[in-house]
Amino acid sequence: MAQVKLFGYADKISVKPGEVIQFYVNADGTDAADAQLVRLIHGDNHPDGPGFVEQEVPSAIDGIWRVEKQYTQIGSFLEVPDPQRRLALGGSLTLFAFIHPLWPQVGHRQFLLGRWDNDKNVGFGLGIKPNGLLEFWVGRGDEVDYVEAEVPLRANMWYFVAASLDAATGRATLYQEGVVNRYNSVLGKVTPLDLRSHVAESFRFRQKHLDDTPFLMAGSRDWHDRRGDFVSQLYCGKIDRPGLFDRVLSRAELDAIRSGGVPPSDGMVAYWDTTDGYTDQGIGDVVTDIGPHKLHANGYNRPVRAQTGWNWSGRNDCFRLAPEEYGGVEFHADALIDCKWKPTKALLLADDLRSGAYAIRLRGGGGTGLGEEYIPFFVRPKQPTGRIAFLIPTASYLAYANEHLSFDAPIVQGMSGMTPILTDIDIEMYKNPEFGHGCYDSWADGQGVCYSSYHRPVINMRPKYRISSMDITWQYPADLSVIAWLEHMQYDYDVLTDEDLDREGVSALSPYPCVLSGTHPEYYSERMMDATEDYIEGGGRYIYLGANGYYWHVAFRDDEPWGLECRKLGDGWKAWEARPGEHYIGTTGQKGGPWKCLGRPPQKIMGVGFVSEGFGTSAPFERMPDSYEPSLAWITDGIEGDVIGDFGLSYGGAAGVEIDKYDLSLGTPPNTKVIASSGGHTDNYLTHGQLQLHQHPGTSGSWDHRVGADITYFPAPNDGAVLSCSSIAFGQALPVNGFDNNVSRLLANVINAFIKPGPLPDSSERAAEPEDVLVT
Amino acid sequence: MNAVIDTQDRAEVRRLRYETKQRAFLKTLVSPHVIEEHRRSPIGQHSEPLERLLAYFRRRPLAGRYAIMVVKPFEAYRLVQLSGERGVPPAPSDETIYRSQAEAEHAIFLRNVQTLLT
Ligand SMILES: [Fe+2]
Repeated sequence: MAQVKLFGYADKISVKPGEVIQFYVNADGTDAADAQLVRLIHGDNHPDGPGFVEQEVPSAIDGIWRVEKQYTQIGSFLEVPDPQRRLALGGSLTLFAFIHPLWPQVGHRQFLLGRWDNDKNVGFGLGIKPNGLLEFWVGRGDEVDYVEAEVPLRANMWYFVAASLDAATGRATLYQEGVVNRYNSVLGKVTPLDLRSHVAESFRFRQKHLDDTPFLMAGSRDWHDRRGDFVSQLYCGKIDRPGLFDRVLSRAELDAIRSGGVPPSDGMVAYWDTTDGYTDQGIGDVVTDIGPHKLHANGYNRPVRAQTGWNWSGRNDCFRLAPEEYGGVEFHADALIDCKWKPTKALLLADDLRSGAYAIRLRGGGGTGLGEEYIPFFVRPKQPTGRIAFLIPTASYLAYANEHLSFDAPIVQGMSGMTPILTDIDIEMYKNPEFGHGCYDSWADGQGVCYSSYHRPVINMRPKYRISSMDITWQYPADLSVIAWLEHMQYDYDVLTDEDLDREGVSALSPYPCVLSGTHPEYYSERMMDATEDYIEGGGRYIYLGANGYYWHVAFRDDEPWGLECRKLGDGWKAWEARPGEHYIGTTGQKGGPWKCLGRPPQKIMGVGFVSEGFGTSAPFERMPDSYEPSLAWITDGIEGDVIGDFGLSYGGAAGVEIDKYDLSLGTPPNTKVIASSGGHTDNYLTHGQLQLHQHPGTSGSWDHRVGADITYFPAPNDGAVLSCSSIAFGQALPVNGFDNNVSRLLANVINAFIKPGPLPDSSERAAEPEDVLVT
Repeated sequence: MNAVIDTQDRAEVRRLRYETKQRAFLKTLVSPHVIEEHRRSPIGQHSEPLERLLAYFRRRPLAGRYAIMVVKPFEAYRLVQLSGERGVPPAPSDETIYRSQAEAEHAIFLRNVQTLLT
């Protein structure tokens, strides 16, 4: 019997009672799965903690679900709706485009543009052969005629390519010229290159067409007997300003287009102006046809926009300054934004469902291993009622979604100082490109992944999952330890997600006296930053329960919150680097990169910011003099001794993994107090480049005083306040010893004060010393 | 024009030459003391000789690099080797079961040392 495998996703990540959530399930080896709604309490199976904890919650859809094999279209491409079949040219034609191939010899034919049925060999197309040669062909079903270039295309170079067919004579020509300038390609003018090829052949017949073949760019129509229509021959690279004519364009006419001229109107059937549609606020997925029929093309799996085009001059670094230089639309054969599976089941959320972390648990076969699946989502209250909001960092879950670091990142073992620890689900993901990638990966063609989405199974957004390169829980399963603590302490809390914060702004937080972050809220949109800052300034009390937070500037689309855009650049440690000229977020028109590089270091809002990361070991905190100030004694009330957190599920300490630091020069409010600090970290912990602009030996844990986490506290205007815990490992210390420990005590002390109506315990002493802020 | 055709990556020539010398040096660092140090504490702060050896092992090409496969969480592990090729799963190394992450790490270290010395 085949191995049973179940994977699924939901259409939403954040829902309220009374709303409907839709589930999509793929099944291998079974047609039935046992479904149960569960409330998730704890997700870390580390033997020093409480282990996995869930509660079954009766729901209307519990029981056996019929499940089936689902198919996923990967790869980004453009499809042109053409109901009147104007692009189904039967006679003479010319196709052209500027192209920037990323991987000409990928091993399969890459389709650039045309109307071609790859299964039935009908239509016409321009593409790249597996050996990297440009190729033009026409088919009539039984036979295909083709002409190919003599010089293979090189990766990361800009070309203008064209092909034409004269229906009267059968003469087919291929046109290939480099359009390299000082900035736009990997090689410059001093390299002796021959990029040019001009070839002509006589074709024996003319193309035929099938009615339903779509006109595509960066992929072609294909067929599979169980799957039906799909797109294959996926292209890796950029296409800029492609066009289709119903006559042969002369060499001189093509030379003129190659030089930047506007194509002639005579014979123009379509001309997609990939530079059209940019605004100050970014660009969407539709590529405009400015030809006579306005046959606009739709992006599938989100081709990357806001990318430099063939004529990028190097002077302008953003499409907002020179949209005409940003015609590059970038395609990747393994891109994935939405699995678009058939719906399996929907759930109307019961009116009395309490806010929290939920999932549909699916079991098939023996219900173990890959036969067990959890599809997670979060339930907010209909109306905010809790005293505490636990803000689930779903933007960061998206950035990390299905990361492949253990398999594909040569640096990861050097970074982590340990060997990856893999499980079956890691292998399953690695074998199947249908899981897509996260913003820690590169597509197979080498370019960094700048989009992520939860409309696909996300294996690391699951209880029990451990990040294989680090062997700890990370993001979602780590944050469940905070849920477990809130449950154990019987706090009155609600959950909400980054998606809600991005859409609703400060009003999502303002009903709550106290907001608690996740353990690693690293990825923040501007709206999320603004809302957080406004909440605190308005008197909110915020606990930043992690580290390396508020770090990368990312963006969600208003109408598609399941997708995230992230451009990696600047002085952060980064898994990849956006190309020059491609530093602005296509979703919003804002510059990407670390918030620190944009004038908003996390210290400015939270008092602390990223200083170091390391793996394999964590350290305890030691109390600092401020903690003994009588006015601040409430923070450490009941804690004996100087040491806090010499235990934890993340490498045995509360200070570790990624750690943050107090830094007045980066905007830490001068009235900030340091309650406790860690030190004694290993040399696997390096000082971050934001603090150490030039690398030199002696800046790692055992050498450098800066490598340590600071637990800080500062009162903000209007009775607001911020406690920052400054360590990802902090949250994983909470469950130790049945939640009875000094990390748990410290957090409870602060939360109890934060949720209590009225001024903070230290406010009367502060009123007596108003100059304290100013003299620092 | 005397056009460029694809050529051998000279950086690779340089890397191989560097690593030949580096290996000769690293061999002098292998000692019973270093091996015992690793056995006691495979992860964490190490002496310079041990950390130099580990830094070299951790930077071997992905193809063939060892990884640990969980047989039973927190109880049983075995060794696999990465393919270094996208989509190709790691290959089992052998059937030996290790009772802890530390035991598996040390087994990998001993194999890497052996490869270095041969
Ligand atoms: Fe991170």
